[in-house]
Amino acid sequence: MKFHWFHGMPWPHLPADFRDRNRSVWVDADASVYDPVEGGRLYHEYLDQMEYAEQVGFDGLIVNEHHQNVFGLMPSPQLMAAALARRTSRAAIIMLGMSIALYRPATRAAEEIAMLDVLSGGRIVAGFPLGTPMDTNFAYGANPAEFRRVYREHHDLILRAWQDPDVFAWRGESTRLRYVNIWPRPIQQPHPPIWIPADGISSETWDFCAERDYNYVCLASRGIAPAQAAMDGFWSRIAARGVEPNPFQGAVSQTIVVAETDDEAQQRYEPHFEYSSRHTLDDFPGWTEAPGWRTERGIRERAAQTMQELANPRPPRIPTWQERLDIGSLAAGSPETVTEQLEHLVTSLRAAHLIGVFHVGDMTHDLTLRSTRLFAEQVIPRLRHLWEDHEDHWSPRPIATQHTRAPRRDLAGVN
Amino acid sequence: MAELQTLDLTPGGQTAHVWQGGDADSPALLFLHPITGIPRWGEALETLANDFRVVAPYQPGWGPAKDDLPGVRDGLDLVLFNVDLLSTLGVGSAHVVGVSIGAWIGAEIAAIRPDMVQSLTLVNPLGLWSENHPGEDPFAQHPGFPTAVLFSDPEKRNELLMADRDPMDAYVEELLDLRASAKFLWPIPDTGVGRRLVRIDTRTLIATSEHDNVVAHEMGDIWRAAIPGAQSVQLAGSGHIADLEAPAALADLVRNFALAGVTA
Repeated sequence: MKFHWFHGMPWPHLPADFRDRNRSVWVDADASVYDPVEGGRLYHEYLDQMEYAEQVGFDGLIVNEHHQNVFGLMPSPQLMAAALARRTSRAAIIMLGMSIALYRPATRAAEEIAMLDVLSGGRIVAGFPLGTPMDTNFAYGANPAEFRRVYREHHDLILRAWQDPDVFAWRGESTRLRYVNIWPRPIQQPHPPIWIPADGISSETWDFCAERDYNYVCLASRGIAPAQAAMDGFWSRIAARGVEPNPFQGAVSQTIVVAETDDEAQQRYEPHFEYSSRHTLDDFPGWTEAPGWRTERGIRERAAQTMQELANPRPPRIPTWQERLDIGSLAAGSPETVTEQLEHLVTSLRAAHLIGVFHVGDMTHDLTLRSTRLFAEQVIPRLRHLWEDHEDHWSPRPIATQHTRAPRRDLAGVN
Repeated sequence: MAELQTLDLTPGGQTAHVWQGGDADSPALLFLHPITGIPRWGEALETLANDFRVVAPYQPGWGPAKDDLPGVRDGLDLVLFNVDLLSTLGVGSAHVVGVSIGAWIGAEIAAIRPDMVQSLTLVNPLGLWSENHPGEDPFAQHPGFPTAVLFSDPEKRNELLMADRDPMDAYVEELLDLRASAKFLWPIPDTGVGRRLVRIDTRTLIATSEHDNVVAHEMGDIWRAAIPGAQSVQLAGSGHIADLEAPAALADLVRNFALAGVTA
């Protein structure tokens, strides 16, 4: 197993009545509640948490991209990855990911990932999500009717820009460049590992990953059952290609809380879950389906569920701690309990990369570090052996440390 | 009764799915549908067919032409599609009626091929943007009833758009029609037609609906001011999809204006 530490970087100081005055925490949420001075302090605190995760033994640190989002203050994952590249030395830096369809020209994404790969000594994973309608269509104005085609084109251009040794011309629908010849080029050849995060059931994403031998990342934020369905779908595509499934080609993300006892976990951490649940409850549905964001196939796959939800509307409410545990949208409790929950999750899904979300909502720095440490000390050793009979082809291949140069501060006397 | 035909167009080579009705000797009328396409040969088209030879194509990307969306890039491609359609049918010129996004396409045809347009009726036109009168965003809607905002009363979506159709097929078509609309109107409905409206020298009537949530009444004034000699009226009681909500009033309006030049 490999263990990765994810940070969403939420804003933890929303006033209690924020949602009374805002239909959403996304796109058009009132930004006047954001305090840039406190924002700076938080960025450093959050980066400290990620650096701590490396110190205690996590294999990867995960950054992601959101726009105009109260719970994702990372419009540029590259900037955070750059900060981590200087202050960490071992862990993979996993961009999960960059919304490549938004970069014009897309060679900008190829260049920045190459820069980060070089700066980090080959520790980068390139994650290429399609992105959410909120981020890509509503906040960034990308046309949903064109979006998937643009995504595929940018993907193809980035891959070629990394690998083609010659100057080439690109005549695409979205991008036209007479001279493509990026500097720098990535350390990892032919290119950094590529992971594709997908939220929900998307047979198109399964095919996209299976055909290209990419890592498929599913999210357990809605519980184990939907994550299981998503991962099963992916493995079925792998099997259909006649390939022996390798669990390292799958990753699952899960929210994790570890305390000394199950009771302590609930007592100390539950209020911080209520913070984010309360503010995201019954969020504006108009952001969720920009027209064209789903293909016709995707619309049909989703339509039955939409119609069922309309026919049987349930008043939105915050799930209880026990309900979260029951459906498996949360792994929480003592190290023994969490070990059991996660072993069940990763063996059911056959996923050898576990992405832990250790900070949620307005969780304090100390509680975040404590849970992270307990996990590293008492859970990782119990799960590390899982899938050890498989080889991991989807983690970065960094250069040997003797070839890297650590950042230096003691430069006095150089001149 | 009208029939839905499939035609190969010349010289462009596109395929058109087109409703046609009315007497072949009547004056030709090109009907350019709204965001919601043409769910059926309905009352508005049937009434117009009493006085006109009605030609009502699905624009590329809508309804049965859903897979043709990648073949059109912009307004010029849409103009050429409609010009080729009329030419293929042997129609030298026509009265042009456009509703919603269809009004934008109609204005483009009139600006680029004025010889083919005898009169122009633009109903609840999309295609111009005013920060002062943005209207509701037609693309930021509940996924369960995504076009409800286009009607004066959300229930009218069920009654006028979805009724008597297979629920799944109607819903999928509704979303795909919105996708086609988004291709040209995302993220704000400024198509650039504003730069070309001054070229329109055809008799033009702008109509706005009383209860249109998407196109504010003031937008009618902006369109009227931009098209030389244009007149404007208001359609009582209707939402954005006037051909479904106010079919008789719309047909009256078109007949009176196109054939007699009367706007009252």
